[in-house]
Amino acid sequence: MKIMLELFGASRDFSNKDFLEFNIDKIIEIKDLRKEIIIYLDKNFKGNENFKKIVNSSSFCSEDNNIINDNYKILKGQKIGIIPPIGGG
Amino acid sequence: MLHTKIIDIKKEKISSSNAEVFIKSSSFGASIIFTGTVRNINENKEVTGMTYDSHDELVLKSFNEIYEEAEDKLKIMNKAVFIEHIKGYVGLGEISIIIAVACKHRDEAYILSRYIIEEIKKRSPIWKKEHYKNEQSEWLKGNPLSNEKN
Repeated sequence: MKIMLELFGASRDFSNKDFLEFNIDKIIEIKDLRKEIIIYLDKNFKGNENFKKIVNSSSFCSEDNNIINDNYKILKGQKIGIIPPIGGG
Repeated sequence: MLHTKIIDIKKEKISSSNAEVFIKSSSFGASIIFTGTVRNINENKEVTGMTYDSHDELVLKSFNEIYEEAEDKLKIMNKAVFIEHIKGYVGLGEISIIIAVACKHRDEAYILSRYIIEEIKKRSPIWKKEHYKNEQSEWLKGNPLSNEKN
């Protein structure tokens, strides 16, 4: 299945596009997706520690705009948003 | 009575006159218009502008929740609230957010206005990228999203 990770805030520096795509062949949880993102960062940004910190301190958001926890199961291909630490206003 | 909007600054302008019109009513005796603007120095760095990013749907959802909570927690029932936040690039002195409130009495208006901005800072997925005089730029660190409702 294809998981499209929508990038926001500091995570936009992970790619020139607004999203990252992950092809996953099993049901995974958000904590596994975190690991997949870090593998991607290790590969493409030589383990940039600041980027990894962003991933580890981020929340995630489902396609229907709910904040989801690390145990949330991704059962089918969908859009997931990464929500880095916030600070608007 | 609530109005919320994310203003994509490439497409439209943010204006406090819209807020004035929205909250104006003879049933309210106190109104406050708060505007947040981009300032020139942050942590000893000379700032030239700011790019705001937003998860629009979640931000609007959080604005609605904050408004609803004002009834439950603050017991402010009769009120008009106008919240707009921009996304995109703005220069020094330009407006990033408008929170306009109108209530029966001034105590309620001050409390409500302060409550809304503090909750937005804690809960609304909005990010800032500062641009500096030396041509560099950086996303501000921010705080992890709090899922807990107070």
